[in-house]
Amino acid sequence: MKKIQLYIGAVLLSAIVGCTGDFKEVVDFTEVTNPTLSEESVVGQPNSAVIWAAGIEREISRTFNEILILAELGSDNYENTQTFFSQFLDGLDIRTTDPDIRDTQNEIARVAKMAQFGLETVGPNDPNYSPAQEAEFHYYLGLSRMLSAMYFSALPQETVGVPVVSAENYQSAIQSFQTAVSISAKPEYHLAIARSNYYLGNKSAAVSAANAALALSTDFTREAKFDEAEGPSNAMEDALYERATFDDFQPLPSLDFLDPKYSFLSPEQDASVHYLKAEEAYLILAEANLSDGNVAAAQANLNDLLDLVATREVRVIDDRAEQRSEVDPGGRPDNSGVVVNGRSGLVLDRQDGVVAVPSISGTSLTTAEIAAFANDDESLSKLYRTRQEIFIAEGIRFVDMGVKLVINENEILQNENVNEGDFGTVAVIPSFIASIIPDLDAFTYDAGAGVATTTVDLNDVLVANKTSEAVVPFY
Amino acid sequence: MRLKLCSILTLFAVLCTGLSFGQEKTITGTVVDQYGMPLPGVNILVENTTTGTQTDFDGKYSIQASQGSTLIFTYIGQQTVRKQVGASNTIDVSMKEDAEALEEVIVTGQGSGIQKRKLSTTVDVLKEEDIDKLPANQIDQLLQSTTPSAQIRLSSGQPGTASIIRTRGPISAASSATPVIIVDGVRVDNLNSNPANGIGTGGANTSALADIPTESIERIEYIKGGAATTLYGADAANGVIQIITKKGKAGKATVFFENRLGIIKATDDFLKYERTGEAIFETGFSQEYRIGINGGNEKFTYNFGGSLYADDGFNDLNKQIKRSFTFGLGAQVTDQLKYQGSFSYVGFDSNLDFNANTSFSRFSAFEGGGRGNLDELSDADWQVEKDRAQLIGELVDIRRVNNRFTASNKFIYSFSDNLEANATVGVDYRTSIDEENDTNALFIALGSRPEGTTDQASFTRFLRNNFTVTSDLNLTHRAYTDNFSFVTILGAQFFRTADRQNRLDGSGGVDGTTSINTFPTKTASDFVLENANYGLYFLENIGFYNVAFLELGGRLDANTSAGKDTEALFLPKIGLTYNVSDHDFYRESGIYDVVSSIKLRANYGEATNFAQPFSQDRTFALESFLGAPAFRFDQPGNPGLISETVKTSEVGAELGFFNNRLNFSGTYYKAITEDALFTPTQPPSSGLIPQVQNIGEIENSGWEFALSSRIIDTEKHQLQASVSYNTNENLVTSTGGAAPFVVGGFTVIGSWVEEGQSLGYLRGTAAVLQDDGSYAFEPNTALGKTFAPNFGSMTLNYTWGDFNLYASADYQFGGKIVDLSFLLRHLRGVDDTGIPEELIGTTSPFNYVNFFTFDNDFLKVRNIGASYRFGDMLKPFSNVTFGISVTNPFNWTAGSFDPETTGSGIGAQNGFSSGGFAYGTESVPRVFMSSLKFQF
Repeated sequence: MKKIQLYIGAVLLSAIVGCTGDFKEVVDFTEVTNPTLSEESVVGQPNSAVIWAAGIEREISRTFNEILILAELGSDNYENTQTFFSQFLDGLDIRTTDPDIRDTQNEIARVAKMAQFGLETVGPNDPNYSPAQEAEFHYYLGLSRMLSAMYFSALPQETVGVPVVSAENYQSAIQSFQTAVSISAKPEYHLAIARSNYYLGNKSAAVSAANAALALSTDFTREAKFDEAEGPSNAMEDALYERATFDDFQPLPSLDFLDPKYSFLSPEQDASVHYLKAEEAYLILAEANLSDGNVAAAQANLNDLLDLVATREVRVIDDRAEQRSEVDPGGRPDNSGVVVNGRSGLVLDRQDGVVAVPSISGTSLTTAEIAAFANDDESLSKLYRTRQEIFIAEGIRFVDMGVKLVINENEILQNENVNEGDFGTVAVIPSFIASIIPDLDAFTYDAGAGVATTTVDLNDVLVANKTSEAVVPFY
Repeated sequence: MRLKLCSILTLFAVLCTGLSFGQEKTITGTVVDQYGMPLPGVNILVENTTTGTQTDFDGKYSIQASQGSTLIFTYIGQQTVRKQVGASNTIDVSMKEDAEALEEVIVTGQGSGIQKRKLSTTVDVLKEEDIDKLPANQIDQLLQSTTPSAQIRLSSGQPGTASIIRTRGPISAASSATPVIIVDGVRVDNLNSNPANGIGTGGANTSALADIPTESIERIEYIKGGAATTLYGADAANGVIQIITKKGKAGKATVFFENRLGIIKATDDFLKYERTGEAIFETGFSQEYRIGINGGNEKFTYNFGGSLYADDGFNDLNKQIKRSFTFGLGAQVTDQLKYQGSFSYVGFDSNLDFNANTSFSRFSAFEGGGRGNLDELSDADWQVEKDRAQLIGELVDIRRVNNRFTASNKFIYSFSDNLEANATVGVDYRTSIDEENDTNALFIALGSRPEGTTDQASFTRFLRNNFTVTSDLNLTHRAYTDNFSFVTILGAQFFRTADRQNRLDGSGGVDGTTSINTFPTKTASDFVLENANYGLYFLENIGFYNVAFLELGGRLDANTSAGKDTEALFLPKIGLTYNVSDHDFYRESGIYDVVSSIKLRANYGEATNFAQPFSQDRTFALESFLGAPAFRFDQPGNPGLISETVKTSEVGAELGFFNNRLNFSGTYYKAITEDALFTPTQPPSSGLIPQVQNIGEIENSGWEFALSSRIIDTEKHQLQASVSYNTNENLVTSTGGAAPFVVGGFTVIGSWVEEGQSLGYLRGTAAVLQDDGSYAFEPNTALGKTFAPNFGSMTLNYTWGDFNLYASADYQFGGKIVDLSFLLRHLRGVDDTGIPEELIGTTSPFNYVNFFTFDNDFLKVRNIGASYRFGDMLKPFSNVTFGISVTNPFNWTAGSFDPETTGSGIGAQNGFSSGGFAYGTESVPRVFMSSLKFQF
């Protein structure tokens, strides 16, 4: 027995000795390795700023996926006939508990956090960091602030920070865009400045930025791209096209000819959202000129706009799966014979084969209509109709309506600077919009006679309330 | 008590004076039970002295005593033996069972095991003879309805699918309720959900529980968390299922051969449309052949068990094959050193059908109204549908192959009669290959690709290897005086798990191949989890006059899944047990004839669950975005992340009446999960993705009652019945300021975590009838708790000579479940049952989800079986047993659907599963089985 005890002792002793040397890893089982990327794998690596920027671009696409669904449903552009997407925004039912609004806020904040990390950490540590890249990071930060301002009456800029009101967020955005311009100018930086000033009602600043943008390019667009294979794919494309017979989003009959802006592109890439494009500069200039009573200049701007639109891609697609609608076939205008609000040519024959739909910009505005422009509300209404058409499925109409989303309950509960009931936690819906919510997507349709009439013309409503702070900023 | 005090004083006096009587000598011997099996742990005391010892693990003892003195042999469950020391130096003793005493159970937890009567915690035990009666060969099915206080819900009828197992309510929002499973001291893979990278076939996920070896099980102990699992540490808060395999018994070798033949018939009670069954169900046949060899001598024992099983399921495409063998051995290496080893292999192949949440599922399409109202189809239309379904059935190709090897080695070294060391080291290796082959033909049959498509086939192969190594070293010391006993355990335990998953996806292929090489487009993904856990533990069990026991213990627990700013956790436990009826005065009193045993117990203990490995780390991700690399923030990280701690207090009593013919057990428990691991949504302004944090608190409390009785107990007839009833009150007492978050289901109708509500309760918009006859829509309405707060089981066992009849059932009530199939039928316009007309078509059905939420009450008879032992009538066999059984014969439910079939709810790896959604999943089938067992 002693022998065995001696033997065990010897083994233990050799084990202890062994553990001190290379043999340690044979008997030490506590080492674990997380194979995922750590900060060291990102920061300080050559070209990390470019890869980080690609990540922000991807993040921006994800952000638009959240925003566009809400904004397009919340506006008169689209009606949700299924239940797959937001259940609430179609009726402008804006709740602090809405998880889609929560995700929107989160994505917008993530763009800012990523931009800041790019500016402060990734960029400076990348040996190949370029000024153009730095300008982009400033632009991303500005974009996040601008989106905050466009869609929320107040949002914190920092984690659980004090909510910043929309106007201040626009100012922060302008500051970032100007820094970007000062480092390495791009037309979309100027246009972003123009848009921010437009919504702030700063006419001259908006005009000068719009001109600066056009001076660099008269046909630029900045797009959020989508990866059909690896994601994110374009959520609006799902709603408008890919889910086919689910028919989730049905356009206002007067916008039928512009639907679907996004359709199948390739197995690799999904349709882009052109969220900053030269068209907007012309529209800002036209509205500024119209508000100044300078009709001729506005007409020139709009003619330039039509010229530009004429150069934009029109995609020919097979949209036969799209019914108007699947749940109620023939319940909505579905042929080119239908006259909507007294105008023909606004509805496409989808069942007859392929249809041609603009993928960047399209409008029913004609040179004849432009020629008839005057310094009156009717012309302003047409301008707003054109804005609606040009920007369909880009989330702008919702902003033009003066509606703002709310800070989500997750923020309210975890951020001591926000309490339920505070400004920013209550939906902003101008009274003239609130009173017609049920009518926003409503229309009457006599299929036999081929006549459809929208219950309200929201462009007229906006123009009728042009002096309101909430809408039509130059008036 | 005064008497006892006198004894202590006497003892003290004796010690002080150091008196001795006569010439001492060494007496040795062996103590065996009435069957000749050695009895370890028998107390031997020289009467009127402090000299005492205990038998070792082979029943051997050695003690100093003088001639003429008397040795007293005591052992719970055995009649006390007194022997006078004569001239011989050897005294062998054969003890007889004491029917009056409480049945003795040795719990083989950490250390060398402690007598059940000394424990303040309860353990549900399933013994060999109980297991043999059950036709099931899956561990969860064995435990279902046979463990009085566990809820085991078979969530799908697909082969090898997971059950939801829970005992004392939902204690964690971060992990499944599946207990740790330990086979012969070695932890084994217990993943009871879809793996992180697994193939989603609509919730039909094979579970690691399906291939835990059930061969040659000697006993299963179900330890329910709380103080009972403190020493297991790490992730034992959900309880521990301990499986002890046979190592052989000394004596004549026995060999058995058993054949089990069964008919597997779909449970069609819950079908919305009979036609669903007509199209998909096809009664199957099962056969199993088992062999066992057991024997050995006093130095070496062995056991071998092997089984081959095959069935072709109740559905036209399911199949499963199981091949397994185990062997165990015990060897007395030297007088001091003993070795026990066991090894098992299980191979499990199965073919699954799509279920639930996939448009490919025939069953959920039929039952969810996806193919219209089947009852309204004309015979001709139905024939078309049926042909379509049968064609799809022939083309669905989802295969799962699991192979598992488990090996355990245990070394027991006796330094002396009182001091023993145990060392265990073992491994469990489980490898899974899951394949889904979606051919062009399948896509065409499903209508998702045009006729003539030949280059759109897709194929997925998922590989998972899970390796666990466990080692444990402990010392057990026993000491006692005539009034006190001490069991001291000191130990260290270590285990390490590595879970490696790889997934290959091929697309754009032609039919006729399952080689990934042949698919033009290939993508790959992986997932890794590694965890090492180590702990030191101690336990001191002090017995007072052999009637009361105080237990103190603790574990210092550390693991690599904790954040870097954390320290090892100390988990204490304390327990008190008082066997009132073991007092002599009690036994002599008149009450004893009525209340024959009284055991009171109380304890407090802490146990933990650790977060998913690596969830403490801050990480980044690199995405492929339009062909270019794109970084992004990933997990925010949490350097303060630590295991959640469940602090359980319980008090209970065990009462035996009329010579223990009627036994009652009652326990009240209260378990508070502190630092509960919640993964709430971050404040949106942070821009962060959710991160698991120790911010929650969950409270579970309830009663556990079990009643068992020997109603008839004559030499020829024995009738035993048992019934249990358990309650559970569950409440999330804090979410640490976080907003309510969803942990299952959907946003519109989901399982939520919210302060003041039950964990995973159902929340959605309810339509509430107003006085004016209109409906108001109330969002975020609490629609009920998913965990039935009342549940229990029943068993009946009747023996008449060689004939045995056995039945078991279980039940639950008080919970709620959403019938998603109904919701889908309604959305598709084929079923408006019970929906107010004012609501139909006027608003989204998601505004009246209360009409799709039902009670999840049920009573289900799980097994009825009968067997007859022919004994040696059929020579040369020493015994032949014939049995018949039926599994899942009868069901009573509150709703018209099966509230157990929640296969769609366990998607995330080891994720929380509320089981609150029934959706397009086939129920567990009925199995009619015969068995014939030959022994020689």
